[in-house]
Amino acid sequence: MSRARDIRPAVALAVLGAALAATLVAGITWGAVPVAPGDVVAALGRALSGRSQGLADTLIVGVRLPRVLLAAVVGASLAGAGAIYQALFRNPLADPYILGVSSGAGLGAMLALVATSAATAARYGLVPAAAFAGAMLTMALVVRLASWKGRLDAASLLLAGVAISYTLAALTSFLMVFAREQMAAVVYWMMGGLTGASWAYLAVVAPMFVVGAAASLTLSRELNLMLLGDERAGHLGLSVKAFTYGALAIASLLTAAAVSVAGLIGFVGLMVPHMVRMVLGPDHRVLLPTSFVGGAIVLILADMVARTVIAPVEIPVGIVTALIGGPFFVWLLMRGDRR
Amino acid sequence: MNAATDVMLAYRGASVGYGEAVVVADADLEVRAGEVVGLVGPNGAGKSTLLRAVTGDADLRSGVVEVAGRSRSELSPRERASLVGVVPQQVSAAFSLPGREFVEMGRHPHLPRFGGPSETDRAAVRQALELTGTTNLASRPVDALSGGDLQRLALAQALAVEPRVLLLDEATAHLDLNHRLQVLDLVRDLADAGMAVLAVFHDLELAARYSDRIAIVAGGRLAGAGTPERVITAEALKEVFGVRAVVGPDAVTGSISVTPVLRDGAVARGRHGTVLVVGGGGTAAPLMRKLVLGGFTVLGAALNAGDADAVLAEALGLEYARIEPFAPMNAEAAVTVARFAERADVIVVGPVPFGRGNIDNLLVAVRARRPLVLVGAVDGRDFTGGAAESYWAEALEHGAVTVEDLAGAERAVFALAGGSDAEQ
Repeated sequence: MSRARDIRPAVALAVLGAALAATLVAGITWGAVPVAPGDVVAALGRALSGRSQGLADTLIVGVRLPRVLLAAVVGASLAGAGAIYQALFRNPLADPYILGVSSGAGLGAMLALVATSAATAARYGLVPAAAFAGAMLTMALVVRLASWKGRLDAASLLLAGVAISYTLAALTSFLMVFAREQMAAVVYWMMGGLTGASWAYLAVVAPMFVVGAAASLTLSRELNLMLLGDERAGHLGLSVKAFTYGALAIASLLTAAAVSVAGLIGFVGLMVPHMVRMVLGPDHRVLLPTSFVGGAIVLILADMVARTVIAPVEIPVGIVTALIGGPFFVWLLMRGDRR
Repeated sequence: MNAATDVMLAYRGASVGYGEAVVVADADLEVRAGEVVGLVGPNGAGKSTLLRAVTGDADLRSGVVEVAGRSRSELSPRERASLVGVVPQQVSAAFSLPGREFVEMGRHPHLPRFGGPSETDRAAVRQALELTGTTNLASRPVDALSGGDLQRLALAQALAVEPRVLLLDEATAHLDLNHRLQVLDLVRDLADAGMAVLAVFHDLELAARYSDRIAIVAGGRLAGAGTPERVITAEALKEVFGVRAVVGPDAVTGSISVTPVLRDGAVARGRHGTVLVVGGGGTAAPLMRKLVLGGFTVLGAALNAGDADAVLAEALGLEYARIEPFAPMNAEAAVTVARFAERADVIVVGPVPFGRGNIDNLLVAVRARRPLVLVGAVDGRDFTGGAAESYWAEALEHGAVTVEDLAGAERAVFALAGGSDAEQ
């Protein structure tokens, strides 16, 4: 019995890993200008040996590849952060937005967008840094508010998060008034898009993602304990408060990584961990890694749709995830499966 | 092992509560390896709060709580968790992990920061499942289990810790009779094998049966612990719970039996009649109880000490003419009954048989010429060779009311003397 349980997650991870590889290749070939899978491999080979040539290579290595990788990193970050929030709050509806962390990251990024005039190098560095600062400051503020009356519990965290979230969203909209020249870019960013994808962006967010993902994978056992409730987790030796702060910081880092480059992309952080939990159960030793991979796959697919559905015009990928995610979530709720 | 290290859990001048509010002040209690100490007391008295002070869920305002000789505040959460197992009142599990993994969570304080459970850990989990009889639940998802099964898994989870102190917070409240005894028998065995157990009980008889010592928590205080016989007394129950109860040795378990008789608050007010009840052998106890509840002053006729009616009268604090066990009524007792009869507005003769030992009760009751209620017929109850029958006939001549049973007697008393305030 226990052996069967050990095998299933391994199989799931292998299947998901293969699916991710296939999705990555598909994401590169797919587009307004189709590329054959064979060309992708050849172009990558030339790029690695420093002999890139022609427009096709530029398209594949300079445009498609960073875009697909960025989609993977953003999707994985959002799904991983969602899985952590859902465990901490024991609430399958929790996601990076619920704590106001996304809004905080958004406000930080917006400030940086307004402060930098155009697509300069300063913007590449400043926007993610400001998003991360915004995420962390917001989280600190929310935690401070939630623990005003002593104990820090899930309900007050959620309430404080929602309240702060609305306030920060309003501030972000207010700032848009001052960013007239940047309006198009800003609006696209707020709707959630990967349009600006480049190796420069990737270089900034990939380290944030790697650090956050690696750190979160060491928390699996404690996240499982949190399923039992704060008090019971404490009985079994978990320093609940310290752990909650730490896990919130990691989830916020992941959220900031995603928001800083891709704006506000909804539903991935909510949907992916939920789906994985339905299939593989709530054990975070399995749930976390599979959520990362699943989030990457989902966002690459959503971005493929966003790029091509009314080509040559791109729509923000956040619209696609919301259009698919909303009905999907309603369906989930109506199935009444509360696992 | 010396006495000092034997003490696995100690409260020393501990004031515990939440935030600024102190729930139990200045508590002193020691729980030694190998003993079960029961905490009893009214709802909200702070029994659970005392347990929660050990795990840090409640705050320690002053004093010390020691686990295995070390102050609670010196222990890291993991160290404390590896010493103390906790079974809460009720656990919730709204996730579908299998039972074995649920129990394995109990190993958390023993696991290294990185890496999974070792063979030792798995063995501890297996043993915890076996001890609690939950091996059959190991592969079932916990969110599909009944409350009772989940509760037993929670005990297994606590035992997987391999603790030296076990805290039970009404851990068996939601279990059926069989599982309740199974769990408590197991707890008893664990204590006998050297574990120190501090358990909150609601059920006083179970507390008495499974505890070596019991302490009462009431009015913000923890009274000194003592043997169940010393602590669970009728006086204590009246004071702590406001309940009159018959407390005595239980013939079957050798422990204590507690029969609550009536709640102080349930006694009707505003009725002032006095009723003398002739009983014996438990024939009149239910009537006496009903009349006290109805607000009457109830007096008992002559009763042998230890007789069921006498036990009830004592539990209710009623006056009665006490005679030695198995002894016949003497002149002194007859005089006492006669005085009671003079005070009575109504006299009731219960369905008691009459012999030489108690026939004077009937004589006094009949000759007092007070309103008289006779329960049942005298046929088959006269072991005096005719005396009882002749008194009975005399009573009927003088207008005594006959009723079929105690319920009828109760109605008759209310009709004759139940006129409430107007009566006085």
